[in-house]
Amino acid sequence: MNWLYDSVEPRVMDEDMLKLAVGEQGPRDEAGQLARQEGILFKDVLSLRLDFQNILRIDNLWQFENLRKLQLDNNIIEKIEGLERLVHLVWLDLSFNNIEAIEGLDTLVNLEDLSLFNNRISKIDSLDALIKLQVLSLGNNEISHMMNIIYLRRFKDLRTLSLSGNPIAEEEDYKMFICAYLPDLVYLDFRRIDDHMKELAEIKHQYGIDELKQRENLIQAQLDDERAQREELEEHKAAFVEHLNGSFLFDSMYAEDVEGNKLAHLPGVSELLQAYKDKFVIICLNIFEYGLKQQEKRKVELDTFNECVQEAIQENREQGKRRIAKFEETHLLSLNAIRDESEVTNLEMKIAEHSKDITELFNMLMTLEMQLVEQLEETINMFERNIVDLVALFIENVQSLMAQCRDLENHHHEKLLEISINTLEKILKGELDEDLPYDVRALFVDKDTIVNAVGTSHDLHLLKIDNREDELVTRTNSWCSHLVDAIHKDEIMRNRRRVKEIHQYVDHVQNELDNLECSEIID
Amino acid sequence: MEVLKEKVEEEEEAEREEAAVRAERGEKVVRPMEVQREEAPMTQEMLRDLEKKLSDIEMAIPEKLSTFTKDTIDTSKLPLSYQSNTLKEEHLLQVADSFSRQYSHLCPDRVPLFLHPLNECEVPKFVSTTIRPTLMPYPELYNWDSCAQFVSDFLSMVPLPDPLKPVVQEEEKVPPKKYAIKPPRDLTSRFQQEQETKKLEEIKAEEERQLREEEERLLDVEKAKTDPLHGLRVHSWVLVLSGKREVPESFFIDPFTARSYSTQDDHFLGIESLWNHKNYWVNMQDCWNCCKDLVFDLGDPVRWEYLLLGTEKSHLSLTEEEEDGLNDDDDVENLGKEDEDKSFDMPPSWVEQIEISPEAFETRCPNGKKVIQYKRAKLEKWAPYLNSNGLVCRLTTYEDLECTKTLEIKEWFQNREDMLELKHIDKSTGLNVDYFKPGHPQALRVHSYKSMQPETDRIMEFYDRARVDSLVKREETSKTMTEYYRGRSDFLSYRHVSFGDRVKKLSLNSAESNPRPIVKITERFARNPEQPADEDVAERVFLISEERVQLRYHCRDDHITASKREFLRRSEVDHKGNKIVMTPDMCISFEVEPMEHTKKLLYQYEAMMKLKNEEKLSRHQAWESELEVLEILKLREEEEEEHRLTISIYDTKRNEKSKEYREAMERVMHEEHLRQVEAQLDYLAPFLAQLPPSEKMTRWQAMRVKDECLSDFKQRLIDKANLIQARFEKETQELQKKQQWYQENQVTLTVEDEDLYLSYCSQAMFRIRILEQRLNRHKELAPLKYLALEEKLYKDPRLVEFMKVFV
Repeated sequence: MNWLYDSVEPRVMDEDMLKLAVGEQGPRDEAGQLARQEGILFKDVLSLRLDFQNILRIDNLWQFENLRKLQLDNNIIEKIEGLERLVHLVWLDLSFNNIEAIEGLDTLVNLEDLSLFNNRISKIDSLDALIKLQVLSLGNNEISHMMNIIYLRRFKDLRTLSLSGNPIAEEEDYKMFICAYLPDLVYLDFRRIDDHMKELAEIKHQYGIDELKQRENLIQAQLDDERAQREELEEHKAAFVEHLNGSFLFDSMYAEDVEGNKLAHLPGVSELLQAYKDKFVIICLNIFEYGLKQQEKRKVELDTFNECVQEAIQENREQGKRRIAKFEETHLLSLNAIRDESEVTNLEMKIAEHSKDITELFNMLMTLEMQLVEQLEETINMFERNIVDLVALFIENVQSLMAQCRDLENHHHEKLLEISINTLEKILKGELDEDLPYDVRALFVDKDTIVNAVGTSHDLHLLKIDNREDELVTRTNSWCSHLVDAIHKDEIMRNRRRVKEIHQYVDHVQNELDNLECSEIID
Repeated sequence: MEVLKEKVEEEEEAEREEAAVRAERGEKVVRPMEVQREEAPMTQEMLRDLEKKLSDIEMAIPEKLSTFTKDTIDTSKLPLSYQSNTLKEEHLLQVADSFSRQYSHLCPDRVPLFLHPLNECEVPKFVSTTIRPTLMPYPELYNWDSCAQFVSDFLSMVPLPDPLKPVVQEEEKVPPKKYAIKPPRDLTSRFQQEQETKKLEEIKAEEERQLREEEERLLDVEKAKTDPLHGLRVHSWVLVLSGKREVPESFFIDPFTARSYSTQDDHFLGIESLWNHKNYWVNMQDCWNCCKDLVFDLGDPVRWEYLLLGTEKSHLSLTEEEEDGLNDDDDVENLGKEDEDKSFDMPPSWVEQIEISPEAFETRCPNGKKVIQYKRAKLEKWAPYLNSNGLVCRLTTYEDLECTKTLEIKEWFQNREDMLELKHIDKSTGLNVDYFKPGHPQALRVHSYKSMQPETDRIMEFYDRARVDSLVKREETSKTMTEYYRGRSDFLSYRHVSFGDRVKKLSLNSAESNPRPIVKITERFARNPEQPADEDVAERVFLISEERVQLRYHCRDDHITASKREFLRRSEVDHKGNKIVMTPDMCISFEVEPMEHTKKLLYQYEAMMKLKNEEKLSRHQAWESELEVLEILKLREEEEEEHRLTISIYDTKRNEKSKEYREAMERVMHEEHLRQVEAQLDYLAPFLAQLPPSEKMTRWQAMRVKDECLSDFKQRLIDKANLIQARFEKETQELQKKQQWYQENQVTLTVEDEDLYLSYCSQAMFRIRILEQRLNRHKELAPLKYLALEEKLYKDPRLVEFMKVFV
């Protein structure tokens, strides 16, 4: 069949072609007249048909941002491409083309109906993003492996599937297999699946399905676990105390500490180390719990603040709306009255009166807004003070806890040093009973070496602790300042918007009045 | 245990109430006499007045005193205890007399005691013996309040509290929050405010004064007839004493109104005496402060002078006071033996047990109908199903005291098929309001109207959940129709239609096909959360005569102004003669946030076309609503005319269908029974009777009996066959004869004779055929019947032991 297209010159999807199609498929009759007058923007087009155009390559479609339905059937397209921007697409028809692989559909999350009938596809994949898929047409392709069906299990909304004309459709078990593995399917190859068939299939393939389900459940559970963990970590991060609910910090202190690890082999050091670790972890846990508590407190504070501000804004807004509604009533009446008025003096008087009304409305709305701004400013300042205090308190307490860590480290250092020197003396005297590993023994050459080694380890540990503390403090502070900034900015934006809105409305009303006047004068 | 106790208490309460009924009954008959004895020159009129005052709430005794008056009771049919006194009663009466003498000697200025009035049979009976505690089978009588209600219905009437009273909900006050904004600064002059409030207060005070004056004036008018007998009137009521059965404090029950009153109530001016079925007490306490200071400790002989000593185990010191005025506080278990274990005991009550049939209980009022006249109001009550239109209660209120000018009428209905519950007619405004229970075919809830003519003022409210279109309310005036909706999927919440004057049509069409022209349709929509506010229409107004459509959109969450758009639909022709499709000035819009695509003519044109269709739909809707109103009105009229009543399937008495069914069932049962009796016919009886009696049957005898029975049966079968055969032959012979006769006389026969002959032939043939059939059938069945009997005999319990051997 393809020879027919081959004999024709492939065409390029250019501006003219698209314009023509849009023009042809756009509104008809009177609306069409208007459309021609004004021209149609590509981004306003919702549906586009480009069939039998000998298109070889999909191109130039990026402007059709709001396209819902796209028909590209009966062309000679070989590769799915250029559709990335059409994120609103619901309906895509690519049947009767020369496509060999499914690809380039990763952004089309809204796609519900996909037709790839009569192509050269041999494998179903790369459809993961199409979570809303309901109808999939893959007939007359080259799909030969039954396992492709299992890939389709992930589409929970898939109801209609056509696969006839594929090598797999020849297989004797084809229907049963699909019915069993896709139990939610309603139509297969343009026919409704009857319940009897479903039951039979289920019984036949029960074993396989159970196994598959088991596996799927396992994977799902794993994913859930991971997500839960991620969420927990996020929560801890928000409290700035992540990885403090255990020995992470302690372990990290020893992770890069070569000397420290070596020294652990000394007699008595391992017990010392264990005691040190226990104490250290307890302090870390204290920090962690305190952090979570403080986070909760900050959250409550912020929620209360937001709620109150929202309430205030809501109330102010209601007042404004009431004013406007009241004004609109009189506005319409007086406009009508002005329109009907014939006497010039009366007319002028009425116009003056009405413009006074408008000014009054404007003043009133602006007063309301200014009032709100003042009120909010005060509240925001109060909140700012409180949140800064809270954060400062948090940092202070964490710092004191960190100081405890440092004390522990110092203490440990002294002890270690003592043991090391003792050991050195013993070695020098040759009294040492135990066998030390060679690289440990290498440290005990003279006093300086050993002191240096212990000192290095100590410094490294302190550095780790300092780093962790710095990180916590800086992050906390930056969160706080960001929050306050955002609140201020939001308030300013809100104020700007409202003022703009008021101006716009009042201008509009004034314009209406002016237009009337103009027409009156002309009359 | 707790539950049981409570129940006992209720039962006992019920008894008390019943006792009260009896007491009232006994007392009522004699009261006029009694009163006359005390205050001689009293007319019936004054009596009524007195009764009225006594019953505390303005209420008059109905014209007939009560159905229990003497003339309705045939005294001769009453039991002996009504007509005479036993020895014990006589003795008691003597005791009472002496008590009364002593009393009047000691307290000469007090009213003689009410001790032994005459009963229906003109026999003096001591008051306590008129009370007989009785247990009734109706659960309603187990609680004092519903019981008192029933008693009051039996005796007199009380209006029910308004069932339509709205429930007021208090708004929850939210506690102030931390970041709540401060209220805006108050810059108004305090002095001015004060002046203002002062002025307002003055005005208010003036108004109040006027109001008070007016009220006083009205009160004066009403009080013009002050009661000359204030404080002298006598009344009986029920006192429930505290202590037992979780009664927290003593209270009074007025038997006429079924209301309970605190003992502190101002209406009760004093107590002369109390009695229950066991004793009689005279109040020795001062009643200068009404009943407020009375102590109801009946064991205290200083405060309460008893008539019979020691019949009660009341104690002075006990905090639990056990005595009642008209009540007893007996436990259920010692109901019967109450008289045995007392020293001088009250003789048993002479009255019979009260029996209330279920019908009487349902009917409540005598004859199922009752009228109570109140001040400026009249209440009429009927038993359910008494009126064919289901009317059960009617309250008429009047403007004046003479009850001539009706103010409003309220009618309550029950068991109506159209679910009408209450009809409220306001005579002053002419407004009728009908209230319906859920289940009306048009889901009507309330219908208020002045006339049943269409296109007049009316309000219909609906059960919106029962309606497909979720209509809540439809208000109509002669020029407008307003509809309110709730919870529609298209978010429509309000539609207002203004009509113009009907255009006179010259054609012959009737008025129905000439609907009023629609001038304006206003529709309001609730917010559709799925659409952005700028595209979600809040209100649209179709000015149909001006060909103008106004749209107002919803307000965005953070805005105070809303977008507006106005379409002018003018089909004009430009100077070249081409039709103008759309021009910018045909759509005037104000947008809060100007958008690009709405500026386009195409967009506006499409929007306008859509609106055009929607206008058509809305007009159609309005037209349909008008039709529906007509339909409902028609239906209502039909319903009013038919007023069919529904009957519960559990109502065995009235439900015709179930009655029929039941009767049919009974018939079937009866037939079944007959058949069974037949089946139990004893074949063997006549043969067994031939045997010598009281001797055990031998096997030989058994065999004989069996054989005889069988042979007898066989004989009967043969006889029957012979009988049929004989008839058959006879019939055939006759026919042959007749045929012969016909053949001989064929020539001379008249037409009538021939007809006669022919009909005879056909009848004879029919008979022969039937006989033949019967014979055949008999031949077929006879052996079967024989075998069946044989089988039966083999299994007969009397013969079975002898038969076993052979089997």
